[in-house]
Amino acid sequence: MKKLSLTIVLTLMMTMLAACGGSNGNSGNGNSNDTASNQQAASVSNSSPTQNASPTTTEKKTIDFWHSMGGANGERVDAMVQRFNESHDHIEVVATFQGGYDETVTKLQQSIASGTGPDVSMLERAYVQMFSDSEVLADLTPFMQSTGLEESAFIEGLMGHSYFNDKLVSLPLNRSTPIMHVNKSILGELNLNVPTTWEELKTVTNAVIQKNGNDITRYGMSMPYDTWYPLAMITQSNSSFFDEEGTTVPFVDDGTGEKVFSFLKDLQSTGALFYPPSADSGNIVTGMFREGKIAILYQSTGSIGGLIENVDFDYVTAFLPQNDKFATPTGGANVVMLEGSDDKDAAWEFMNWMLTNDQGALPFIVDSGYLPVTHAMIESEMIKSQWEKEPVRQTAYEQLAYAIDTNKDIAWPSIMHEFFSAIEAIMYDSEDIPSTLQTFKKEAERLLAE
Amino acid sequence: MTLLVPLVQRVFGVLFKLLLLMIFVFPFLWMISTSLQTFRETLSYPPTLVPAVPQFINYMTALEAGPFGTYFKNSIIITLSIIVIQMLVLIPAAYSFAKYKFKGSGLLFSFVLLAFMIPGQVTFIPVYLMMSDWGIGRTLLPQIIPFMTNAFGIFLLRQYFKQIPEELIEAARLDNASELKILMKLMLPMSKPALATIALFSFVSHWNDYFWPLVMTDSAAVRPLTIGISMLRETEGISNWHVIMAGNVILVVPILLVYIFCSKQIVKAFVYSGIK
Repeated sequence: MKKLSLTIVLTLMMTMLAACGGSNGNSGNGNSNDTASNQQAASVSNSSPTQNASPTTTEKKTIDFWHSMGGANGERVDAMVQRFNESHDHIEVVATFQGGYDETVTKLQQSIASGTGPDVSMLERAYVQMFSDSEVLADLTPFMQSTGLEESAFIEGLMGHSYFNDKLVSLPLNRSTPIMHVNKSILGELNLNVPTTWEELKTVTNAVIQKNGNDITRYGMSMPYDTWYPLAMITQSNSSFFDEEGTTVPFVDDGTGEKVFSFLKDLQSTGALFYPPSADSGNIVTGMFREGKIAILYQSTGSIGGLIENVDFDYVTAFLPQNDKFATPTGGANVVMLEGSDDKDAAWEFMNWMLTNDQGALPFIVDSGYLPVTHAMIESEMIKSQWEKEPVRQTAYEQLAYAIDTNKDIAWPSIMHEFFSAIEAIMYDSEDIPSTLQTFKKEAERLLAE
Repeated sequence: MTLLVPLVQRVFGVLFKLLLLMIFVFPFLWMISTSLQTFRETLSYPPTLVPAVPQFINYMTALEAGPFGTYFKNSIIITLSIIVIQMLVLIPAAYSFAKYKFKGSGLLFSFVLLAFMIPGQVTFIPVYLMMSDWGIGRTLLPQIIPFMTNAFGIFLLRQYFKQIPEELIEAARLDNASELKILMKLMLPMSKPALATIALFSFVSHWNDYFWPLVMTDSAAVRPLTIGISMLRETEGISNWHVIMAGNVILVVPILLVYIFCSKQIVKAFVYSGIK
């Protein structure tokens, strides 16, 4: 009997601990009960004479901000939010890491459905169309007008994913592009110049190969396993991923797809290109670049910071080589306001501060290596002095003049998976390029038609 | 000559076991080694096997990267609650499936089977919506309630109970023992290996659970250690592997400790073949 009662007591204790466990923490915004009780608690603690005179405007508002930054970048986001909270008495922003970009999308979908979504969120730019199609993103135009923020304040190349049906639904926050990282020491040894065209890229990457018997000890170049880089090469060949109407994938039938992948397979066959395995490819190829196992790396501008600090050789960046023209897609995330937010004014105050205040997203961008998103940021002291010290970053900004995103569509997330399958078939299994692309095209057109 | 054959067999046996041991232990050794390296050492190729100077500071960095005290406490509360509640639910369920013949027992048992087969990835959205509707979305309960029972546990325990001879139970009933007493004094002591196994498997799978806590929780206050460690990874760019590995060592140590305590019981459970 004693044992039984002990177990019962233990269970009850556990259950009580569990039930009480989280509710002392952050309060929600989707749950109106929580907000009301929190506001009451807050207004009791905010007791200064002038504030008591107008009770309805002194309650401390809580804004939930979801983001996808882990590791060092996560700490930088936390620091940014802390700067906001310290300078804004009447708003408290609670930042929560929700996993990577894809995991954050899952969390957003389920929480919006249950009414427990955040007020502001980071959203990877390729998903913006999908969310705005479901009408869960707030129209930002009235808010921009209220604080006098013009669309022209933002860098044009980064605004591609901000609109849906002519409404402004998101603004760039932490954006990046792919760029060519070059080990100039290796090129210098062989008296090679930094390539600017695909032909020059082929020459340089083949010249750099080093072998030990039959094993290759140094490849020419590499790139992570990602749709980004083939996308870049498609636009460099004057084609586009989706067409204007969003009904087909023109790069398959106009021959560009075959051109791009044949070029990659050709480089792969001699050892000029090392195409990495899918798991953790970013870390693998960046590590190879750092150790001098490759001379050229296509990778995000976001890696610039880490590379500057950790390489021993002459490291430069350059535009991705052109085929018919220079072109680059953009990446990273935008910031959105959710339509279901209870306090859009406070949410906007936070968003506006991040994008316009010198202490907002700017220090985060400077430290992390993401691109500055407004012209004001480019003119700022922080960016100017950073570019003086590290001119490799300025190249990233200059490449934005050639930024073009051709994969804007609600169906992109599902078509992206099909594209990955095609890439795997071609790069890993060496399957026939035209037929693989035709299979992909059929699937893509089916998904686009839905 | 005849002496050599068993010797050769023994040598091969030992070598084979050593090989298996290395395959299973090597990832752990690698994890510990990486957790003590500097950042440059983790990136070097060929890989560093033994760090030059052990960097115990990595453990401090990992612990300071987030509210690890909260994460650890949450992990413990969740995992222990699950084990306790499962015991309370499994034992009577297994007992009734094993020793009672009642109408609908077949149907109910097939429900248990069904529950076993449906993966979490299918149910998490409706469960999340349900928990939000109940208003407990911001507590630890959504990570505990869905796991209040364990089909594998019911199977194992049912098998064990079936092996206990009917005569013993009849005798106990003749002595006017209540069903509860039979359960507590007769069945449970004879099933200790099974109970230890179920407890350990539950502990390991829920201590290590990443997917379910990630989708069920929105705020850091209710997240367990697994999510805390995953937050050490960079979303874009290079991860600090030495710090992440230190975090992983912290995550794994409790499991190793629990296993060391329960290992004898587990071996007994799998070897036990109803010797009467």
